[in-house]
Amino acid sequence: MIGTGIKRGTAELAVLSVLEYGPLHGYEMARRIEKQTKGALRFTLAALYPMLYRMEQRRWIHGVWENSSSGRRRRCYRITPAGKKKLSPLRREWAELFGALRRLTKVSNG
Amino acid sequence: MVDWETRVELRLTGLALEPGERAEVIAELAAHLAETCEELRKQGITEEEAVQRTMSQVEDWQKLSRLIQTARTKENIMTNRVKQFWLPSLLTLLLSMVLLLLIQFFGPSPWTSDSGNHLRMTPVAVVYVSWLLTLPLIGAMGAFLSIRAGGSARAVFSSIMFPVFPYLAFVVVGLPVALILDDHVAHNITIPAFFVGLSAWVIFPAVALLAGGLPVQIFISRRLNYRRIAGG
Repeated sequence: MIGTGIKRGTAELAVLSVLEYGPLHGYEMARRIEKQTKGALRFTLAALYPMLYRMEQRRWIHGVWENSSSGRRRRCYRITPAGKKKLSPLRREWAELFGALRRLTKVSNG
Repeated sequence: MVDWETRVELRLTGLALEPGERAEVIAELAAHLAETCEELRKQGITEEEAVQRTMSQVEDWQKLSRLIQTARTKENIMTNRVKQFWLPSLLTLLLSMVLLLLIQFFGPSPWTSDSGNHLRMTPVAVVYVSWLLTLPLIGAMGAFLSIRAGGSARAVFSSIMFPVFPYLAFVVVGLPVALILDDHVAHNITIPAFFVGLSAWVIFPAVALLAGGLPVQIFISRRLNYRRIAGG
Protein backbone atom coordinates (compact mmCIF):
# COMPACT_ATOMS: atom_id res chain seq x y z
CA MET A 1 0.00 0.00 0.00
CA ILE A 2 1.38 3.38 -0.99
CA GLY A 3 1.63 5.98 1.81
CA THR A 4 -0.55 9.08 1.98
CA GLY A 5 2.24 11.59 1.30
CA ILE A 6 3.39 9.83 -1.83
CA LYS A 7 -0.21 9.49 -3.01
CA ARG A 8 -0.74 13.24 -2.68
CA GLY A 9 2.34 13.82 -4.77
CA THR A 10 1.16 11.51 -7.51
CA ALA A 11 -2.28 13.07 -7.77
CA GLU A 12 -1.54 15.79 -10.30
CA LEU A 13 0.37 13.40 -12.53
CA ALA A 14 -2.46 10.85 -12.33
CA VAL A 15 -5.14 13.40 -13.26
CA LEU A 16 -3.15 14.90 -16.14
CA SER A 17 -2.28 11.42 -17.41
CA VAL A 18 -5.88 10.19 -17.59
CA LEU A 19 -7.09 13.46 -19.10
CA GLU A 20 -4.48 13.16 -21.82
CA TYR A 21 -6.67 10.49 -23.40
CA GLY A 22 -9.82 12.59 -23.40
CA PRO A 23 -12.19 14.66 -21.25
CA LEU A 24 -13.65 13.11 -18.11
CA HIS A 25 -15.85 14.26 -15.27
CA GLY A 26 -14.71 13.91 -11.65
CA TYR A 27 -16.38 10.60 -10.85
CA GLU A 28 -15.20 8.95 -14.06
CA MET A 29 -11.71 10.29 -13.46
CA ALA A 30 -11.54 8.77 -9.98
CA ARG A 31 -12.82 5.43 -11.32
CA ARG A 32 -10.39 5.42 -14.23
CA ILE A 33 -7.40 6.18 -11.98
CA GLU A 34 -8.43 3.50 -9.49
CA LYS A 35 -8.89 0.91 -12.26
CA GLN A 36 -5.68 1.72 -14.10
CA THR A 37 -3.58 1.66 -10.91
CA LYS A 38 -5.33 -1.53 -9.72
CA GLY A 39 -6.58 0.24 -6.62
CA ALA A 40 -3.22 1.65 -5.55
CA LEU A 41 -4.49 5.20 -6.11
CA ARG A 42 -7.98 5.97 -4.86
CA PHE A 43 -9.51 9.41 -4.85
CA THR A 44 -12.40 10.17 -2.58
CA LEU A 45 -14.52 13.21 -3.32
CA ALA A 46 -12.74 15.09 -0.50
CA ALA A 47 -9.35 14.48 -2.06
CA LEU A 48 -10.29 14.91 -5.71
CA TYR A 49 -12.18 18.19 -6.02
CA PRO A 50 -9.89 20.59 -4.12
CA MET A 51 -7.11 19.27 -6.34
CA LEU A 52 -9.14 19.64 -9.54
CA TYR A 53 -10.03 23.23 -8.62
CA ARG A 54 -6.42 24.00 -7.83
CA MET A 55 -5.30 22.55 -11.15
CA GLU A 56 -8.00 24.52 -12.92
CA GLN A 57 -6.78 27.72 -11.27
CA ARG A 58 -3.32 26.93 -12.59
CA ARG A 59 -4.93 26.45 -16.02
CA TRP A 60 -3.64 22.91 -16.43
CA ILE A 61 -7.20 21.64 -16.87
CA HIS A 62 -10.47 23.27 -17.86
CA GLY A 63 -13.94 22.23 -16.73
CA VAL A 64 -17.11 22.66 -18.80
CA TRP A 65 -20.67 21.75 -17.83
CA GLU A 66 -22.20 19.11 -20.09
CA ASN A 67 -25.42 17.11 -20.09
CA SER A 68 -24.95 13.35 -19.93
CA SER A 69 -27.13 10.87 -21.86
CA SER A 70 -29.04 10.26 -18.61
CA GLY A 71 -29.86 13.98 -18.45
CA ARG A 72 -27.58 14.65 -15.50
CA ARG A 73 -25.42 17.78 -15.64
CA ARG A 74 -21.78 17.01 -15.09
CA ARG A 75 -18.63 19.06 -15.26
CA CYS A 76 -16.20 17.58 -17.76
CA TYR A 77 -12.53 18.38 -17.45
CA ARG A 78 -10.07 18.44 -20.30
CA ILE A 79 -6.35 18.98 -20.28
CA THR A 80 -5.19 22.39 -21.56
CA PRO A 81 -2.03 23.10 -23.59
CA ALA A 82 -0.45 24.35 -20.33
CA GLY A 83 -1.38 21.04 -18.67
CA LYS A 84 0.15 19.06 -21.53
CA LYS A 85 3.28 21.15 -21.17
CA LYS A 86 3.35 20.40 -17.44
CA LEU A 87 2.89 16.67 -17.94
CA SER A 88 6.24 15.88 -19.54
CA PRO A 89 8.43 17.45 -16.81
CA LEU A 90 6.21 15.80 -14.18
CA ARG A 91 6.77 12.42 -15.81
CA ARG A 92 10.48 13.06 -16.02
CA GLU A 93 10.67 14.10 -12.36
CA TRP A 94 8.82 10.95 -11.32
CA ALA A 95 11.05 8.77 -13.46
CA GLU A 96 14.09 10.42 -11.87
CA LEU A 97 12.70 9.91 -8.38
CA PHE A 98 11.85 6.25 -8.96
CA GLY A 99 15.23 5.71 -10.63
CA ALA A 100 16.94 7.22 -7.59
CA LEU A 101 14.90 5.07 -5.22
CA ARG A 102 15.62 1.95 -7.25
CA ARG A 103 19.34 2.66 -7.12
CA LEU A 104 19.12 3.33 -3.41
CA THR A 105 17.25 0.13 -2.63
CA LYS A 106 19.64 -1.87 -4.80
CA VAL A 107 22.57 -0.44 -2.84
CA SER A 108 20.79 -1.15 0.47
CA ASN A 109 19.99 -4.73 -0.57
CA GLY A 110 23.43 -5.32 -2.04
CA MET B 1 -34.99 9.66 -3.88
CA VAL B 2 -32.07 11.34 -2.17
CA ASP B 3 -31.68 15.09 -2.70
CA TRP B 4 -27.90 15.20 -2.96
CA GLU B 5 -27.68 18.92 -3.62
CA THR B 6 -29.49 19.75 -0.40
CA ARG B 7 -27.33 17.30 1.53
CA VAL B 8 -24.16 18.89 0.19
CA GLU B 9 -25.43 22.44 0.64
CA LEU B 10 -26.31 21.82 4.28
CA ARG B 11 -22.82 20.49 4.93
CA LEU B 12 -20.84 23.13 3.03
CA THR B 13 -22.11 26.02 5.13
CA GLY B 14 -18.62 27.45 5.55
CA LEU B 15 -17.99 27.72 1.81
CA ALA B 16 -17.82 31.47 1.20
CA LEU B 17 -17.76 31.81 -2.58
CA GLU B 18 -19.81 33.95 -4.95
CA PRO B 19 -23.39 32.52 -5.08
CA GLY B 20 -23.05 31.26 -8.67
CA GLU B 21 -19.67 29.66 -8.03
CA ARG B 22 -20.91 28.11 -4.78
CA ALA B 23 -23.93 26.64 -6.58
CA GLU B 24 -21.63 25.12 -9.21
CA VAL B 25 -19.43 23.48 -6.58
CA ILE B 26 -22.47 22.09 -4.78
CA ALA B 27 -23.96 20.76 -8.04
CA GLU B 28 -20.68 19.12 -9.01
CA LEU B 29 -20.12 17.43 -5.66
CA ALA B 30 -23.77 16.33 -5.54
CA ALA B 31 -23.46 14.76 -9.02
CA HIS B 32 -20.37 12.88 -7.87
CA LEU B 33 -22.13 11.57 -4.76
CA ALA B 34 -25.20 10.58 -6.77
CA GLU B 35 -23.09 8.53 -9.18
CA THR B 36 -21.20 6.88 -6.33
CA CYS B 37 -24.48 5.92 -4.70
CA GLU B 38 -25.96 4.64 -7.97
CA GLU B 39 -22.91 2.46 -8.51
CA LEU B 40 -23.24 0.99 -5.03
CA ARG B 41 -26.96 0.33 -5.62
CA LYS B 42 -26.07 -1.53 -8.84
CA GLN B 43 -23.91 -3.81 -6.73
CA GLY B 44 -27.04 -4.79 -4.78
CA ILE B 45 -26.43 -2.69 -1.70
CA THR B 46 -29.53 -1.29 0.03
CA GLU B 47 -30.25 2.39 -0.43
CA GLU B 48 -29.66 3.20 3.22
CA GLU B 49 -26.29 1.44 3.22
CA ALA B 50 -25.33 2.99 -0.15
CA VAL B 51 -26.12 6.50 1.07
CA GLN B 52 -24.16 5.91 4.25
CA ARG B 53 -21.12 4.62 2.35
CA THR B 54 -21.35 7.47 -0.15
CA MET B 55 -21.44 10.10 2.55
CA SER B 56 -18.51 8.47 4.34
CA GLN B 57 -16.26 9.67 1.48
CA VAL B 58 -16.07 12.99 3.31
CA GLU B 59 -15.05 12.73 6.94
CA ASP B 60 -14.86 16.45 7.64
CA TRP B 61 -17.08 18.75 5.55
CA GLN B 62 -15.73 21.90 7.18
CA LYS B 63 -12.23 20.90 6.17
CA LEU B 64 -13.45 20.19 2.64
CA SER B 65 -15.06 23.67 2.55
CA ARG B 66 -11.77 25.25 3.55
CA LEU B 67 -9.80 23.24 0.99
CA ILE B 68 -12.20 24.10 -1.83
CA GLN B 69 -12.27 27.74 -0.87
CA THR B 70 -8.49 27.93 -0.74
CA ALA B 71 -8.17 26.14 -4.09
CA ARG B 72 -10.68 28.42 -5.81
CA THR B 73 -9.72 31.77 -4.35
CA LYS B 74 -6.11 31.77 -3.14
CA GLU B 75 -4.55 31.80 -6.56
CA ASN B 76 -6.93 34.52 -7.73
CA ILE B 77 -5.43 36.94 -5.26
CA MET B 78 -1.91 36.39 -6.42
CA THR B 79 -1.69 34.90 -9.87
CA ASN B 80 1.06 32.52 -10.84
CA ARG B 81 2.68 35.16 -13.01
CA VAL B 82 2.92 37.50 -10.03
CA LYS B 83 4.33 34.82 -7.74
CA GLN B 84 6.69 33.27 -10.26
CA PHE B 85 7.96 36.36 -12.05
CA TRP B 86 6.90 39.80 -10.85
CA LEU B 87 7.40 39.33 -7.12
CA PRO B 88 10.91 37.79 -7.31
CA SER B 89 11.92 40.19 -10.08
CA LEU B 90 10.79 43.35 -8.33
CA LEU B 91 12.33 42.18 -5.05
CA THR B 92 15.70 41.54 -6.68
CA LEU B 93 15.53 44.91 -8.48
CA LEU B 94 14.56 46.78 -5.31
CA LEU B 95 17.23 45.09 -3.22
CA SER B 96 19.96 45.70 -5.80
CA MET B 97 18.97 49.38 -6.14
CA VAL B 98 18.89 49.91 -2.36
CA LEU B 99 22.29 48.25 -1.97
CA LEU B 100 23.78 50.38 -4.75
CA LEU B 101 22.37 53.51 -3.14
CA LEU B 102 23.77 52.57 0.26
CA ILE B 103 27.18 51.81 -1.24
CA GLN B 104 27.16 55.14 -3.12
CA PHE B 105 26.40 57.00 0.10
CA PHE B 106 28.44 55.12 2.65
CA GLY B 107 31.15 53.51 0.53
CA PRO B 108 33.37 51.74 -0.23
CA SER B 109 34.31 53.91 -3.21
CA PRO B 110 33.97 52.44 -6.68
CA TRP B 111 36.91 51.39 -8.78
CA THR B 112 37.54 53.87 -11.59
CA SER B 113 39.72 53.28 -14.60
CA ASP B 114 41.30 56.77 -14.53
CA SER B 115 42.77 56.49 -11.01
CA GLY B 116 46.14 58.24 -10.99
CA ASN B 117 45.74 59.58 -14.50
CA HIS B 118 43.87 62.87 -14.26
CA LEU B 119 44.63 63.86 -17.85
CA ARG B 120 42.76 60.94 -19.31
CA MET B 121 39.32 61.94 -20.55
CA THR B 122 37.42 58.90 -21.83
CA PRO B 123 36.50 56.18 -21.41
CA VAL B 124 36.18 56.18 -17.64
CA ALA B 125 34.82 53.04 -16.08
CA VAL B 126 33.11 53.29 -12.70
CA VAL B 127 32.72 49.83 -11.25
CA TYR B 128 31.08 49.33 -7.86
CA VAL B 129 32.99 46.18 -6.96
CA SER B 130 31.34 45.84 -3.55
CA TRP B 131 27.91 46.05 -5.23
CA LEU B 132 28.89 43.39 -7.77
CA LEU B 133 29.95 41.14 -4.88
CA THR B 134 26.46 41.32 -3.37
CA LEU B 135 24.69 40.53 -6.64
CA PRO B 136 25.20 36.72 -6.61
CA LEU B 137 23.23 36.64 -3.37
CA ILE B 138 20.43 38.70 -4.91
CA GLY B 139 20.41 36.49 -8.02
CA ALA B 140 20.19 33.41 -5.81
CA MET B 141 17.27 34.94 -3.91
CA GLY B 142 15.40 35.75 -7.12
CA ALA B 143 15.93 32.23 -8.42
CA PHE B 144 14.83 30.63 -5.15
CA LEU B 145 11.63 32.69 -4.88
CA SER B 146 10.68 31.96 -8.48
CA ILE B 147 11.44 28.22 -8.25
CA ARG B 148 9.55 27.93 -4.96
CA ALA B 149 6.49 29.48 -6.64
CA GLY B 150 6.76 26.88 -9.42
CA GLY B 151 8.27 29.24 -12.00
CA SER B 152 9.34 27.93 -15.40
CA ALA B 153 13.01 28.06 -16.42
CA ARG B 154 12.27 31.29 -18.33
CA ALA B 155 10.58 32.91 -15.32
CA VAL B 156 13.46 31.91 -13.04
CA PHE B 157 16.04 33.26 -15.49
CA SER B 158 14.15 36.54 -15.87
CA SER B 159 13.85 36.89 -12.09
CA ILE B 160 17.62 36.44 -11.73
CA MET B 161 18.44 38.95 -14.48
CA PHE B 162 15.76 41.54 -13.74
CA PRO B 163 18.05 44.03 -11.89
CA VAL B 164 20.10 44.60 -15.06
CA PHE B 165 17.07 45.24 -17.27
CA PRO B 166 16.81 48.97 -16.42
CA TYR B 167 20.50 49.48 -17.31
CA LEU B 168 20.10 47.38 -20.44
CA ALA B 169 17.05 49.43 -21.41
CA PHE B 170 19.08 52.60 -20.90
CA VAL B 171 21.90 51.31 -23.13
CA VAL B 172 19.62 49.92 -25.83
CA VAL B 173 16.91 52.59 -25.84
CA GLY B 174 17.84 55.57 -23.66
CA LEU B 175 21.32 56.17 -24.98
CA PRO B 176 20.47 56.05 -28.72
CA VAL B 177 17.55 58.40 -28.08
CA ALA B 178 19.82 60.77 -26.12
CA LEU B 179 22.39 60.63 -28.93
CA ILE B 180 19.77 61.66 -31.46
CA LEU B 181 18.11 64.34 -29.36
CA ASP B 182 20.99 65.83 -27.38
CA ASP B 183 24.05 67.26 -29.16
CA HIS B 184 25.94 67.43 -25.88
CA VAL B 185 25.74 63.65 -25.45
CA ALA B 186 26.53 63.02 -29.11
CA HIS B 187 29.72 65.07 -28.91
CA ASN B 188 30.99 63.63 -25.65
CA ILE B 189 30.37 59.92 -25.87
CA THR B 190 32.86 57.64 -27.59
CA ILE B 191 32.48 54.06 -28.73
CA PRO B 192 34.96 52.71 -26.15
CA ALA B 193 33.05 54.57 -23.42
CA PHE B 194 29.86 52.93 -24.61
CA PHE B 195 31.36 49.46 -24.21
CA VAL B 196 32.94 50.32 -20.87
CA GLY B 197 29.54 51.48 -19.61
CA LEU B 198 27.87 48.40 -21.02
CA SER B 199 30.37 46.16 -19.23
CA ALA B 200 30.21 47.99 -15.91
CA TRP B 201 26.42 48.28 -15.70
CA VAL B 202 25.08 45.35 -17.72
CA ILE B 203 27.59 42.60 -18.42
CA PHE B 204 29.41 42.45 -15.04
CA PRO B 205 26.17 42.68 -12.99
CA ALA B 206 24.53 40.06 -15.24
CA VAL B 207 27.45 37.68 -14.72
CA ALA B 208 27.39 38.33 -10.96
CA LEU B 209 23.63 37.70 -10.76
CA LEU B 210 23.92 34.51 -12.80
CA ALA B 211 26.83 33.32 -10.64
CA GLY B 212 24.42 33.19 -7.71
CA GLY B 213 21.19 32.40 -9.51
CA LEU B 214 22.18 29.58 -11.84
CA PRO B 215 23.52 27.21 -9.16
CA VAL B 216 20.28 27.73 -7.26
CA GLN B 217 18.25 27.08 -10.40
CA ILE B 218 20.17 23.87 -11.07
CA PHE B 219 20.52 22.39 -7.59
CA ILE B 220 17.71 23.75 -5.40
CA SER B 221 15.02 23.32 -8.06
CA ARG B 222 15.92 19.63 -8.24
CA ARG B 223 15.65 19.29 -4.46
CA LEU B 224 12.34 21.14 -4.35
CA ASN B 225 10.98 18.97 -7.14
CA TYR B 226 11.82 15.81 -5.23
CA ARG B 227 10.30 17.22 -2.06
CA ARG B 228 7.15 18.31 -3.92
CA ILE B 229 6.77 14.92 -5.60
CA ALA B 230 7.28 12.95 -2.43
CA GLY B 231 5.40 15.25 -0.09
CA GLY B 232 2.62 16.49 -2.28
